[in-house]
Formats: sequence, structure tokens, C-alpha cells
Amino acid sequence: MKYKLFASGVLGCALMSFASPAMAMSFPSVGDRAEAVRAEVGKVHNYHAYLATQFASIAESEIYDHDLRAAKEFIKMAEEEAAKAGAAK
Amino acid sequence: MNKQLIALLSCTTLLGACATHGINTDRSELDGARQAVSQARQAGAETCAPKLMAKAQAELYWAAHELTEGVHPDENAMHIAHAEKFAMQAKDKADKECHKPVEVIALTGVNFKTNSAELTPASTAILDAAVATLNKRSNIRVEIGAHTDSRGQETYNQQLSEKRAMSVGDYLVSHGINADRLAMHGYGEAKPIADNATAEGRAQNRRVELTVLN
Repeated sequence: MKYKLFASGVLGCALMSFASPAMAMSFPSVGDRAEAVRAEVGKVHNYHAYLATQFASIAESEIYDHDLRAAKEFIKMAEEEAAKAGAAK
Repeated sequence: MNKQLIALLSCTTLLGACATHGINTDRSELDGARQAVSQARQAGAETCAPKLMAKAQAELYWAAHELTEGVHPDENAMHIAHAEKFAMQAKDKADKECHKPVEVIALTGVNFKTNSAELTPASTAILDAAVATLNKRSNIRVEIGAHTDSRGQETYNQQLSEKRAMSVGDYLVSHGINADRLAMHGYGEAKPIADNATAEGRAQNRRVELTVLN
């Protein structure tokens, strides 16, 4: 019984050690998302494109201020504007 | 079991609510900035001053966020001031860019044979002068707009005006004007400049104009 518990624990630890990096890779950082927004709207010159890059910069600034909730909020707004910029092309 | 289900449903609802951003710009501290942004938008700044308008809007949202935190009053004031400044600059630019006066070169004397797109011989002198103007102002693009009076069927007048605009365009191109500089548009009877009830008014409405596009 003890052996089974020990084996389960080792297996669980092994799975977690492989899962954590994989989980991290599936959630891009705010910085990565900001770069993605800039890449998406880089050559678009309309209001929504400019607003997208503004929101992306604010998101990065909020990360610097350690306000992750605000950063996530602004990067989401950036992504929404980037989508509108593409549609308005 | 029911309590667990209710708790699960409540959490799901809350998470759904978090999907939209929660930044509220309807705060009294932002009245001035919000009004400035609104005025800029009404002036057409999103189209005619998009960069400045985006800066103004972004600063407004940033100010709204900082106000909810209530920690940095100096930063709040700075973002509000920036929002107002950029909005005013955007409005000024939009007032100039969005409402540029349109230059129209009337081709008075350019006429066509009745019910035809064939130019009268007397029209060529006026069109030659138009060619000279377009050669002199080699950077402008123009729209050739042909108009009719309101006699006859609307659809017939529309088609006739389109053919007449093409006829003028063909003449200009055949005399050396690059076709890329010309846009042809028939307006039919849609844009009268005089009263169609009088012979004089109808004569004025039967016209060709060049509208400078840039």
C-alpha cells in the first residue's frame, strides 16, 4: 500500500514537472500579446489600429507597475481594437 | 447538491461578466475629458486625425482606471490633462482636414447634342483650356461630373450623364491627360444647382464640372 502511494506521488510529480512548462506555453504573457497586437496592426493606419497599440503600451506599463489585472484588461481591449482595425481596412 | 449547483452557476456567471472590460469612464472627474473626446469624435477625428484621437481615447481610459485605484492623484490629473490636450488637437486637425473646401472647376460652355454624349464643336475650346489647366497643375486628380436637368426619366438621365462624363474623359485622355488622374461620374438629375422649372434653370443644371480630389 505504502509502495503504491509512493509510486503515485512520484508519477504525479513527474507529470506536473512536464505539465507546468506546457501550461505556461499555452498562456502567452501580456508582453507577448502586446507584440502580437503590434505585429497585427503594424501596417494599418486607422483609428482602431492606433488605439490598439496605445492599449498595448498601457498594458505593458501596468505590468511594470505590477498591476496584472489592469494589464490583462488593457491587453484584451488592445486585441479587440486590433480586430476592428483589420475589419476596417 | 443544489447549493453546489447554484455556486457553480454563480461562478460561471461572474466569469462571463469578466469577459468585457470593466473600465468606467462615466465618472464626474472625467466630465471635461469625456466631453473633449466626444467633441473631437463629432468633428470626425477618428477619420481625419486618427492618431491623436486614439491617444485621447487611450488616456481617457487610463485616467478612468487610475481613478478606480485611487492611489496616484498626480497620475490621474496627468492622464486627464493628456486626454483633453490630445482631444483638442484631434478636433482642431479634424476641423481643418475633414472640412476642406472643395475646389470645383466649372466647364461652362461644354455642351452635348440633344439626347447624346457627343460633344458640340464649341465645347472643344473649353476642354482644351481644361487640358492646359490639368497640365499646369500636374499633381491634381479630378472627378469629371456630368449633370442633366430633370426633364425625362430619371434612369435615362442617369445613364446619359454617365456617357457624357465618359465622353469628356475620353477627350482629355486623347489630349494627353493621364487616365489615372481622372474619375468619371454621372450624377443624372440628382444634384441640381438651379430651378428645373425654368428654361434658364434647366440650362444651368445641364453642366459638366471638374472636382479636385486631392
